[in-house]
Amino acid sequence: MSNLFNWEPDRSKYPTVKDNGELDVDLSSHKFTKLWVGPNHPGITGNMAVEITISGDEIVQAKTHVGYLHRGFEKLIERRLFIQGFPTCIRMCVAEPDYNEYILSKAIEDLSGIEIPEMAEWLRTLALEMARLQSLLRTVPGQGGTFSLGLGVQWGMYLRDLILDRFEELTGARIYHMYILPGGVRGLLPDGFKARMEENLKLIDQFVINIKKLMFDNVIFKKRAIGVGVIKKEWVDQFGIVGPNARAVGISRDIRKDYPYLKYQELDFEPPTAKDGDIFARSTVRYQELIQTVDLIRQIMAKMPEKGDIKSPTPNVLHWKIAKGETYIRSESSRGEYGMYYVTDGSDKPRRINLRGPSYNHAMSLLEHMLINANISDVHAIMVSLQTCPPEIER
Amino acid sequence: MGKIKDILSPFTAWGNVVKEPVTIKNPIGREAAPRYRGFHKNDIDTCIGCGTCEVICENEAIDLVPVDGIETKDGDSGLRPMIDYGRCCWCALCVDVCTTGSLTLSNEYTWVSEDPDEFRFIPGVDKKSWDDNEKGWKKPEPNYEFYGKKRVDMPELHAEDRDKSFIEFVTGYSKQQAEEEADRCVECGICTATCPAHMGIPEYIKAIRNDDLEEGLRILYETNPLPEICGRICTHKCEEVCSVGHNGDPISIRWLKRYIADQNPSEKYKEILNAGNVENNGKKVAIIGSGPSGLSAAYYLALIGYDCTIYEKLPAAGGMMRYGIPEYRLPYDQIDKDIDYILSLGVDIKYNVNIGTDITLDKLKKDYDAVFAGTGLHLGRSTRIPGSDHKNVFFATDLLREISLGDEIQVSEKIVVIGGGNVAMDITRSLARLQNIKFGKVDVTATSLESEDIMPADREEVVEAREEKAIIDPGWGPTSIEIENDKIKGLHVQKCLSVFDESGRFNPKFDESNTKFFEADMIVESIGQGMDVEYISKEIRDQIEFDQRGRIQVNDYFQTGAKWLFIGGDIIQGPDVIHGIANGHKAAIGIDKFINQDK
Amino acid sequence: MKDLLERLNTKYSLTDIEYQRDNLVFLTIRKENTIDLVTHLRDYEGFTHFVLLSCVDWIEDGKFQLTYFLNQPERKYDIVVRTMIDRDNAEMVSAHHLWRQITTYQRELREMYGINFPGSPGVDENFILEGWDEIPPMRREFDTKKYSEDTFFPREGRKTHDPASYMKEKLYPTEPTTAKVNKTDE
Repeated sequence: MSNLFNWEPDRSKYPTVKDNGELDVDLSSHKFTKLWVGPNHPGITGNMAVEITISGDEIVQAKTHVGYLHRGFEKLIERRLFIQGFPTCIRMCVAEPDYNEYILSKAIEDLSGIEIPEMAEWLRTLALEMARLQSLLRTVPGQGGTFSLGLGVQWGMYLRDLILDRFEELTGARIYHMYILPGGVRGLLPDGFKARMEENLKLIDQFVINIKKLMFDNVIFKKRAIGVGVIKKEWVDQFGIVGPNARAVGISRDIRKDYPYLKYQELDFEPPTAKDGDIFARSTVRYQELIQTVDLIRQIMAKMPEKGDIKSPTPNVLHWKIAKGETYIRSESSRGEYGMYYVTDGSDKPRRINLRGPSYNHAMSLLEHMLINANISDVHAIMVSLQTCPPEIER
Repeated sequence: MGKIKDILSPFTAWGNVVKEPVTIKNPIGREAAPRYRGFHKNDIDTCIGCGTCEVICENEAIDLVPVDGIETKDGDSGLRPMIDYGRCCWCALCVDVCTTGSLTLSNEYTWVSEDPDEFRFIPGVDKKSWDDNEKGWKKPEPNYEFYGKKRVDMPELHAEDRDKSFIEFVTGYSKQQAEEEADRCVECGICTATCPAHMGIPEYIKAIRNDDLEEGLRILYETNPLPEICGRICTHKCEEVCSVGHNGDPISIRWLKRYIADQNPSEKYKEILNAGNVENNGKKVAIIGSGPSGLSAAYYLALIGYDCTIYEKLPAAGGMMRYGIPEYRLPYDQIDKDIDYILSLGVDIKYNVNIGTDITLDKLKKDYDAVFAGTGLHLGRSTRIPGSDHKNVFFATDLLREISLGDEIQVSEKIVVIGGGNVAMDITRSLARLQNIKFGKVDVTATSLESEDIMPADREEVVEAREEKAIIDPGWGPTSIEIENDKIKGLHVQKCLSVFDESGRFNPKFDESNTKFFEADMIVESIGQGMDVEYISKEIRDQIEFDQRGRIQVNDYFQTGAKWLFIGGDIIQGPDVIHGIANGHKAAIGIDKFINQDK
Repeated sequence: MKDLLERLNTKYSLTDIEYQRDNLVFLTIRKENTIDLVTHLRDYEGFTHFVLLSCVDWIEDGKFQLTYFLNQPERKYDIVVRTMIDRDNAEMVSAHHLWRQITTYQRELREMYGINFPGSPGVDENFILEGWDEIPPMRREFDTKKYSEDTFFPREGRKTHDPASYMKEKLYPTEPTTAKVNKTDE
């Protein structure tokens, strides 16, 4: 138990700590400089700013600032009918909107006791894995991007666009899919979808080989990524670290395995882990996940039925009321535990919805902590390696 | 070794130098997927302007606006959705909920304009290049609904259980069934305009959903003081325009109304409707006839303090509702529930008084401030074919009245009914029951001029009559009744080819070579009713305007040329309960205006 | 799970125990014992993963419901500890010493609901809002629509019509109908 409290970083150099616990940072002493990274900076994922205090090239203090794209979605959904929630909530994380749709719809179904048809479960699983795939296609090479290795990013973006093409024909949109809705999903697979998907997956198979040569077998990348941005094992519970960030220190927690939902029980997979907890370890875990996701999509397409109902009957959506109750729905996004706390009060609108995004912990308390003693040039690398998504902090 | 590999392996990327680039040169021309959610399309002739798209829009991007050339009429508000693309998020909930299926999205997404106002338009009215584009988002099929498309079945007695008696065979919705049916309503309010009484239909359906039946009853009585009756036998024109009916069964508005009335006990009506203390204004109104229009006028006049007296020729109130509609459709105790409540408000009723013989209309004029006459259509019309003056040829209205009065009527083993309206079905089904009671079998045939598809009777009446083993054989015009030894042998008919001519006038055409003979020993005529206005003296009649076909002319408030005399109901509007109620309500307003102006 | 709740119930008085799922239980405890229970669960029952700290505004009861989500990663179940605090001068004992991320949650709740957590580091700093002088925006009485109408301006020339009222105006302007339709169009 004692190590739970052992989270203070090494402050042996400077600055000194004052009696009240604050750092003795005197800007007029010319020892320290304040620097803002973001909110408008290509290295920042989304609109977020990190205010760092540096001494030389070394960060002595870091503070995350959010609020640059706060649109109050939780509040907006509180004022809307149940059916109107899903086109709004997807904006809470742009990179993987499908998880928002899923947890919101599932929460509504859970509270009103609706079971969805099997076909819809398979299609939801497929959409969620496709979302993971397109997200990883951006993040895995994106880690190289933070070290100026832009080529992989271009490869990834091209392939991601192909997955978005598949999303477009399945859901009717590229980014904001609005595909999963309370009661089911909004369409079967179009004709020839599986064949086109398979073509794309073959390209990704090739990409997986190429990116390994380009990035993971790259001495520069290794030099920059190994041993930098280390997460210690005991931090996982202290900071609430989830997903690949936790798995990269050897803690194998995956909602898909631990709390199986949708059709994950019928799929064969084992979440990859790594030991070292540095940027390289996290990158490797994501890389393994990318390979695994391709495999999962193949499994899903092989196992899913051809035809079936896509939606269960619901009450008339215009005056759907749900009795007082509360629930929590979680799913494993590419960033980790993605959850929804949903409270109803018997009216036709939710009383409260609260999104639990992994970045809330990763980009705030954890990032602030990890940046201490890091170099300026590592700020983005560490941030991207945590795969932060600012919109889910400020919802 | 590992080190060397790590230095060399990134150079493999140079292999891409010789590959074709994957970038699309001109992405603007790229067509989106067939399911893409782009700009809206609207099939303007199918759209009815119900506004459900506006309600479901989470961004308030849709306005309903009037459009030139689209007329407001029954079942179509004349409004069409205008979309503000500054707010639209292309979620397509409006498409998925669209009641008529007129609204879809195209897969056009690259259109731009320099004028921001062009991003607000009425799809289908403001022409766009993608209007004929077949691709784009449509409501997913099948089994993808935002509200129930199938009506909750009304529980009924089985044909075998009901055809031997006159007990009510429609048993009414349970709470769960009513709430389930009420849930299907999309609250567009299109029906309100079509209902002759303009009842607040979406509002009382909402009261059912909220399980607030007292509020429901208050809404019913705002426009209709006979909900138990209308809840059973209303012609429900509202259901014909119901927006949900465009893609599914229309809401069962009539049964829901009945549910509200059934669930409220009559002894609580006064308390619920807060009708305890109306101050009498000292004015008196006489009402002739206690049918729907008369009762409705009496109710709304009594509510605002008038002292009303109803004069009824027969020994019980209700007019055609009691004496024209068989008990199995409208039980007498339910008629009494509605009427007793109206009488409890202080309305006086005098039975067995025949205006014109017992009291003259002139005397009523003298004794009262105004008179409302809703005397209805009680005289049967005859086909006037040879043999129709035989004693075994009856009028349906007379028979129905006698059944209701409890008189024993003549029932033969083989009966033919001439007529295809609801009255014809009523008498057919009543006679079938009587035959069943008397002979243990049914042999009654109804034949009408109109072919099956244009028979004026409600569809369910025809179906139910057949379930009760009556034969319905439409599309024949009667030519003569064969009589042998003063006994009816049967009815000769010839094939009717068409009933109306091109200009829509009644002008039947027959195929004389195609004939048929219905064996019968009793014939009932049910081809319409006429009015009896003998009670109006010549002097007064001269003040009233009649049109060429002898119909009485009234103004918007059912006031005749004789200013103190208001006439409404079947005489003016043709046979229909709900019209009668609406007439009575409107006349009550007119009478109030007339009396207040006068003094 | 049942054993655990029985154990806890001997020590703390728990109310409103509701199983939403087999592995997700909601329970309510008095304000004074909340942090005690949360600490106990973390230190002795293995609830090492803190999922979420949230607040629900029950404005009609004059209460805020603070909701602590705790997860037991080994045995894979969740306990949700709820406690009711007064809406007026809302204040709660800080739990920032238990998990690091709670500091952020408490800052957010301070800003969005106006709940104070004395002693929580930086609890009074701006979290998302800057220069906000209205009431805390996540409170139920804060009307987002009214705020946006007061702050921004609507697009000009927009006007909508209610089908029922419009049809009355066009088809039967003088006839009696129900009160709602009779209301003049907006």
